Amino acid sequence: MTRRPTAFDLAADDVRHVRPGEAPPPDAATVIVEEAMEAEDLPAPLPVARRRFAWSRVFFTAVGGILSLAIGLWLDQLVRDLFARDDWLGWLAIALIALAVVAVVAIAVREIAGLIWLKRIDRMRQRADIAAARDDRPEAEAVVDELVKLYADRPDLAPGRRATEARTGDVIDGRDRLVLAEADLLAPLDAAARRLVSDAAARVSVVTAVSPRAAIDVIFVVVATLGLIRRLAAIYGGRPGFIGLARLTRLVLTHLAVTGSIAVGDGLAQQLIGHGLAAKLSARLGEGVINGLLTARVGIAAIDVCRPLPFLERRRPQLSEIMAGIRARRAN
Amino acid sequence: MPSRRTRFYEAVSFTTLSDEARIALDNMTDFAWSLGSPSLRLGVTGLSRAGKTVFITALIHNLTHGGRLPMFEPWRAGRLLGADIRPQLHPDVPTFDYRGHVRKLTDTRVWPESTRQISELRLTIAYESATFLGRSLGRGKLDLDIVDYPGEWLLDLPLLSKDYRSFCRETIERAREPRRTAIAADWLTHTSGIDPLGPADDEAAGRLHELFSAYLGTARSGSLALSMVPPGRFLMPGDLAGSPALTFAPLDLPETGEAPHDSLWALMESRFEAYKDVVVRPFFRTHFARLDRQVVLVDVLSALNGGREALLDLEVALGEILACFRPGHSSWLGQVLTRRIDRLLFAATKADHLHHFSHDRLELILRRLTDRAIARASFSGAEVEVKAIAAVRATREATVRRDGESLPCILGVPQEGELLDDHLYDGREEIALFPGDLPDNPQALFRTPEADEPPRDALRFLRFRPPPVEVTAEGVSLSLPHIRLDRALDFLLGDRLA
Repeated sequence: MTRRPTAFDLAADDVRHVRPGEAPPPDAATVIVEEAMEAEDLPAPLPVARRRFAWSRVFFTAVGGILSLAIGLWLDQLVRDLFARDDWLGWLAIALIALAVVAVVAIAVREIAGLIWLKRIDRMRQRADIAAARDDRPEAEAVVDELVKLYADRPDLAPGRRATEARTGDVIDGRDRLVLAEADLLAPLDAAARRLVSDAAARVSVVTAVSPRAAIDVIFVVVATLGLIRRLAAIYGGRPGFIGLARLTRLVLTHLAVTGSIAVGDGLAQQLIGHGLAAKLSARLGEGVINGLLTARVGIAAIDVCRPLPFLERRRPQLSEIMAGIRARRAN
Repeated sequence: MPSRRTRFYEAVSFTTLSDEARIALDNMTDFAWSLGSPSLRLGVTGLSRAGKTVFITALIHNLTHGGRLPMFEPWRAGRLLGADIRPQLHPDVPTFDYRGHVRKLTDTRVWPESTRQISELRLTIAYESATFLGRSLGRGKLDLDIVDYPGEWLLDLPLLSKDYRSFCRETIERAREPRRTAIAADWLTHTSGIDPLGPADDEAAGRLHELFSAYLGTARSGSLALSMVPPGRFLMPGDLAGSPALTFAPLDLPETGEAPHDSLWALMESRFEAYKDVVVRPFFRTHFARLDRQVVLVDVLSALNGGREALLDLEVALGEILACFRPGHSSWLGQVLTRRIDRLLFAATKADHLHHFSHDRLELILRRLTDRAIARASFSGAEVEVKAIAAVRATREATVRRDGESLPCILGVPQEGELLDDHLYDGREEIALFPGDLPDNPQALFRTPEADEPPRDALRFLRFRPPPVEVTAEGVSLSLPHIRLDRALDFLLGDRLA
């Protein structure tokens, strides 16, 4: 049916004009509901902190240089001494040193790759955020292309990649393009990440509840949490090395501190009350629940940090869901 | 797809070699003068009534009055310090009457009248650079040069690549199209009774010119809303009215042969060439050959009001005009010798005459209208965008619920004299208007209708009066509301304010 052009006189008797913020009247044949002028607002950019010249970095570089020289001197002396004792000992030392150098280079390359990945993820998420807010199609297109490239060597995402590429011409709005890419490529990863977090939380709860000493469960929580962060990064396509993991952990903890207040609305109250009940039954059981909860929160923060797109249409995993996931698994 | 070589000749054919040399010389002088203080030439192109004057006024107003431009990155980041009107580039061109236009818009709430003469303006934008180098070395200012001119004059640019014979052939062919026969009848019958080989007669030429311009005027105005009505100065002569270069008309020329000496044909032909040399070429050279950025404003809605023929006519006119510009990737050296348009924005103006649900569809229609120009510009390396904008937003949005049906509407005061369903508006009553649904697929508007299909009257866009400007409690008037003007600015200027 085609709708013909029509004009409605605002002053006519059977017409009610409802301004923004007013409640619509029940009677009147024709009701005109005025929409508030929507203002497009983007999050204001944070002021960039001016970086000062880092003297501490100069200091550490200089000390590092001196230490390297010292080690070099010591190695040189060692090799000379070994050669003086016997030739084959000297050659063995040289071979071992060469092996060590190769290993160090490989480790450095991996570390750098891990750091580059982190930076790339962060930039992609920011770009996607702005592109979605502005509904900017070329920018969204670019982000989606980069996402496909990021997951190009993941066989498990082949169907998602194909679907994303097939949609290239179909969608007009930039935001929709991102939303579809999120559904195609990131949905399977999100599901896996969620299971991983709830598994880790469950393990931590159980170990805390049964561990004989406080020190043991502290160590276990730290190891489990670091392992969780690393495995989440792996799910979203990163392979952070030692430095990468350290930085990632710092980002996760910062993120946790920033979003901490959000979690209060997120069923934390019930969880704490639940903890109260559990604590009534047994102090150790209560501690187990609390530790599990904290692990889950760290896990959610890690998902936020490792995910290359912000949560657009898909729901950010909620604490209550993760805990419900644990219960469901227990029931099985 | 034409080969590179033919494309090259096409590009050169409407300017002569000496033109090219003068353009390059002008560019170098400009570069020398402006060393260290970069300027940006923004070409605001659009046929008459496309909204050039309003666009320029709104742009200046928002930049100088700190309007709300959240999507304009320098504004959002708080790096925009202010803007000021400065002495312009050419002292012999009138200054754009910015204050007069704003006063009209805000005080009496009427749109500026159609532009009758060329005017120019330089806006100096002060900003804080986002980069360390820019802050310590740059001037923190950008000079923006803008030219306003009657949109009809733009129709002359395609004439540069035509000779008198092809001009006559095309004009007469067009006048014989079914839509135009009624209005062109007077002039066509008169022309066919005149022998082009007859003696040169000034009075006959004057009579022909009169009838011809009357036909062009009717085609342009009223319900027909046709766009392809060159030569443009016939509609808006400026101070050249009555001069010989403007007193010519197309003739029904024989297929072959040369113009005999002292014939009417020879007279007309020489005047046509004079028109190109004296009127069109200087206009093109001083104002269009050297642009950095271009925004093409298109009033798609009034063409939709005019029906399929008006739309097709607009497509032809835009295609011919846009072929005259030089888009392309610009390099540092290119900046000095041959300036190129490296960003091109196609804007469907008056988007406030539609609910924002339909803006995507409006953009699709504009994309379809200009697809050849878009393809050409992107191929030569320029960035192209298409947006639906309203430089000044005259309406508010509303949903009308009636009989269980809800219609996306706009609220506003229609201009005096607007007509819908036999109701004549007096310019005072406020209405909610549902203008009809734009088609999902723009192709539906362009294809030939079936023989038994009823004519489409599913769309009707009224003109609305400018909005009342809100005043805060302290008596400070707020800036003019707009739709996506900030996005347009971000695309056109954003990178130069980085």
